[in-house]
Amino acid sequence: MKLKKTFTAGLLLVAVALPPKPIKIYMIGDSTMCLYTKDRLPLTGWGMPFADYFDSSVSIRNEARGGRSTRTFISENRWAPIVDSLQAGDYVLIQFGHNDEANQPQFADRYTPVGDYRKNLVLFITQARSKNAIPVLVTPVTRCNFDKDGKIKETHLEYSNAVRAVGDSLKVPVIDLDERSRELVGKLGPETAKMIYMQVDSGEHPNYPSGRRDNTHFNEYGARLMAELVLNEIKRLHLDLEDRIVKIKQSGE
Amino acid sequence: MLNKLFPKKCLYQQILIGIIFLVLTGFTQLQDPITIYMIGDSTMSIKKKSAYPETGWGMPFAIFWDQTVTVENRAQNGRSTKTFINEGLWKPVAAGMKKGDYLFIQFGHNDEVNTKTSYATPDEFRNNLTLFVTAAKNKEVNPILITPVTRRNFDATGKIVDTHVIYAQIVRDVAAKNNVPLIDLDSLSMQLLQKLGPDQSNLLFNHLLPGENPNYPEGKEDNTHFSELGARKMAELVLARIRIIQPELAARIIKGKDLPIK
Repeated sequence: MKLKKTFTAGLLLVAVALPPKPIKIYMIGDSTMCLYTKDRLPLTGWGMPFADYFDSSVSIRNEARGGRSTRTFISENRWAPIVDSLQAGDYVLIQFGHNDEANQPQFADRYTPVGDYRKNLVLFITQARSKNAIPVLVTPVTRCNFDKDGKIKETHLEYSNAVRAVGDSLKVPVIDLDERSRELVGKLGPETAKMIYMQVDSGEHPNYPSGRRDNTHFNEYGARLMAELVLNEIKRLHLDLEDRIVKIKQSGE
Repeated sequence: MLNKLFPKKCLYQQILIGIIFLVLTGFTQLQDPITIYMIGDSTMSIKKKSAYPETGWGMPFAIFWDQTVTVENRAQNGRSTKTFINEGLWKPVAAGMKKGDYLFIQFGHNDEVNTKTSYATPDEFRNNLTLFVTAAKNKEVNPILITPVTRRNFDATGKIVDTHVIYAQIVRDVAAKNNVPLIDLDSLSMQLLQKLGPDQSNLLFNHLLPGENPNYPEGKEDNTHFSELGARKMAELVLARIRIIQPELAARIIKGKDLPIK
């Protein structure tokens, strides 16, 4: 009996002392999430700062690409190699919509009708689960788009609803980044919100001599705010992943 | 490959090789490689990941340069001119810099606070700045003096307050007396903050709500240290001045391509 107790205590100690199993977070999505090279800064995908807030047991594979919809991400053979490398316990963060929903003629190369969008999300989920990986759905992050009264507009409604519905029916956690980011950007208001998007005056930044006025993509500051929203939703939903977010005893050091 | 294009070794081939050689060397040796050394305090320094999103303006500043420029950001949190020298941080800079390099000097935040151990009297501050400048000039290095970047301090009427009055003036005086180029970042950054006002200027500093960022669970309201955005805006202010007062150095700023966003 005593021996058994010691043994159990020993096991517990080992369990506590063992570092958590290393995992990977695969990020699949579009230009609002992806990595950017130095020659495009301060343009920043939210996946970039997101990677700074995990402990050493996590490695981030940000596979998001600008301009991609669920359809082109699959057809360009970007998804299949990820399925091949998925290990049990890995996460797949899925955020598409901006390009799927672009139904103007000039975006025919990326447009995906909402029914196909839903099917593609189901495919990501099913194939991730077949490898015992954990899919997490993320609704598309908001644009900087205000009405005349200074109220932020919902520009993703149909596609965000599709994400929520798929999440609901397949019991996949949904990080409602569309909702969270609209609250945040709406609170900043039309003028201050510009400060977190890719808005650069001409001559201000050497990468953009002619300046840039973009209401979809984030600068380094906006990308970090979006990453914080996602991190806090991971905590609020109590995904196991929350234990791997960095914990700091004393602020900033 | 050339042999395939020109099966017989002929004049064309030799001319072509000559042109290729000239083009290659012309592009790569247009300018000698140089180093920009940055010495200063926490408002300029490189941050540890655990301090993110706090950002020193030297961090975004480093990506503004073409491949002929190496940026050596040696600024350190909490240092004054005095402690930068006493702790041996200056010595390797003094030894490493060589003819044609640049030395960017921005101190003041920790020199001017007489309750800190880093405190340097106005005389000490002046002497230390002069020491940096003289050492640089002796090695044909180009020193550039920078007044301490502003804090976010507005009075009740919403007017920005200069918190570096005495020490910023010392930097200006040392620059004038020694004929050293000056970037008056104190004044430039105060103008920017005044334009933004008390509310929007929050975004430039490390202001975080409790629970917002994993590195600052209790939140933070820092009116001295910058966010990523503030650091980049300060770096842009410095760069804009370099374009005006340092054309030779400005020639090494990357020529951006206005890349489209997908």
